Amino acid sequence: MRFFVRTALTALYPPGHGLPGLVDCDIDGFLRRFSQQAAPLLWLGVVMGALVFHATPLFTVYVPLPAFALPSGMRDRHANKITSFPIYLVRQAIFLLKLPGGLCWGTHPEVRKHFALAAYEPDPQTVRVT
Amino acid sequence: MPHVSFRDRTENAYEGEADYVVIGSGAGGAAAASVLSRAGAKVALVEAGAWRDPEHYPNSAYGSLRSLMDDWNNTVTMGRALWPVVQARTMGGTTVVNSAIAVRTPSDIFDRWDKEHGIGSGGRAPLRERIASHQDDLERELCVEEVPPEARGRSNLLAKQGADALKWDSHYMRRYVKGCAGSGQCLQGCKKLRKQSTNITLIPEILERGADVLSSAPVDRIVMEGRRAVGVRGHFDDPHTHRRGTSFMVRAKKAVLVAASATHSPVLLARSGIKSPALGEFFRAHPGTGVFGIYDEPVDQNVGATQGWASTMFREDPGLKLETLAVPLELVASRFAGGGQLLMERLSQYRHVAMWCHAVRAESAGTVKPSLFGSKPNVRYTLDRTDMLKFRRGMNLLAQQHVAAGARAIIPGIAGMPFEIEAKDIKILEDAPLDPRPYLAILSHLFGGCVMGRDPQRSVTDERGRVRGYENLIVCDASVIPTNLGVNPQHTIMALARVFAEDLLEG
Repeated sequence: MRFFVRTALTALYPPGHGLPGLVDCDIDGFLRRFSQQAAPLLWLGVVMGALVFHATPLFTVYVPLPAFALPSGMRDRHANKITSFPIYLVRQAIFLLKLPGGLCWGTHPEVRKHFALAAYEPDPQTVRVT
Repeated sequence: MPHVSFRDRTENAYEGEADYVVIGSGAGGAAAASVLSRAGAKVALVEAGAWRDPEHYPNSAYGSLRSLMDDWNNTVTMGRALWPVVQARTMGGTTVVNSAIAVRTPSDIFDRWDKEHGIGSGGRAPLRERIASHQDDLERELCVEEVPPEARGRSNLLAKQGADALKWDSHYMRRYVKGCAGSGQCLQGCKKLRKQSTNITLIPEILERGADVLSSAPVDRIVMEGRRAVGVRGHFDDPHTHRRGTSFMVRAKKAVLVAASATHSPVLLARSGIKSPALGEFFRAHPGTGVFGIYDEPVDQNVGATQGWASTMFREDPGLKLETLAVPLELVASRFAGGGQLLMERLSQYRHVAMWCHAVRAESAGTVKPSLFGSKPNVRYTLDRTDMLKFRRGMNLLAQQHVAAGARAIIPGIAGMPFEIEAKDIKILEDAPLDPRPYLAILSHLFGGCVMGRDPQRSVTDERGRVRGYENLIVCDASVIPTNLGVNPQHTIMALARVFAEDLLEG
């Protein structure tokens, strides 16, 4: 399932306009962590969003291929058009899919540097025990 | 052993006893527990989330969603639109992740509670006087102060500038924050120890006074003997893996106080077998959304207080509160419409955008009931047309304010409308849809579900928070509030919880 999520997210957040894309942001490591740590329903929603992304090029760029098999220019057009699809649940599924992409992309030090934001220290995963 | 954290299944079950058991450590639970504890009572405070001190707080929005929010914040309204319901799950509750905004309970709210729900005129003094007195004390104890000039940041300054240009009555916020450093990290918890969230103020105090505090301890049920609440029981929850730990049981000699939040308190009562025709009903909120302005010069909205400016001028007509809200880059990345190269082009403007938001004083009511998925609440809620008119008006006002502050364009974030609207064209927002689905909104400021009142058919508790028909069972969080407030509720919740705790001590 991670293949579908990865290919959808990298199409939604490609490198461009001087900004790194998700392919430059250790998306694989991020998805490994996210799929283990996220609430199961949330991960399921993200997977569903990715499946919707790949299943809908026929309705956006009018080509009967899954999104991962599209030529890159056409995939880019699909990635934009699907976010404003007229059916609400499709839009929401794609919005949910974009959420972890944004969390990965906006946390990456190169991206933050571009926006004059300090790099994040690693999140401590500790709690008070005494 | 005053603080008990996660215990594995291989360890013995935890058993404890106290005069009062308080469920939840947020604004309501911590405020009530502190009153009881200061009076010399033995208190046990039971919190579903882990205890994270500022050195344990996450840095990123990812870490905040994972470690501080309730189930990754993935509870959404079931209604015409799927809008997230914002709640924390950590020691200190939502006081850890909110902007600690302190607004006194507006006078008209007491009039309305009295007139519509019969609340406030009984007791030893009018409720409004008691609330005001506690709010005085809370402001002193928790160092409420105006956002200092050095922490305002450009977004808050621009908002004030825009409001002044439009001759609006507005102000820099007063918050439970001592010497704000303007780090723009309110939503991830304030690592600089400036925000006076209950996990670093009231809860350490009750620990010192001899309370038992259980963390990572979600309550499964309130234990009832007949119609009398005698304790709580549940299982510890591993803060890292959410693996189920050993069980716990805490007996209450005098009472159980429920302050698990407006979404969890009604569900917990229902799961514990409490019957009331009003349980889970009359759920209300202040739904809101943001409008971005695009400025020629960088705004760097994450520099300065996350929320530092507000206007309550529109609270009564049309029923709105306007505020600034600096959203982390990670969340803006998914909030901006579009995908692919066009999205990257839009995101490249991030330094030049400021987001300001509205909170709608919505009269629409929904329900909160147990869901099929474990302990998650099922929130049914849809804004009616009257509230959507307010919602749309709020977006118009924010757009006008951005333009008055010098924005060259605005980003309304409405599906089906242009991504960017030039300053001269913002009038088209007057015709924005009244269907909630094109908007990306959230529900914060939640009320109801266990509302207080005189009418047993329309209320779960009486005006002292006592669950009607049961003994020794009190609700002391936002779920008892029977109306919206039109302002940020933390100050009201804390003062009301203190009033209920005082009443409890007096018997």
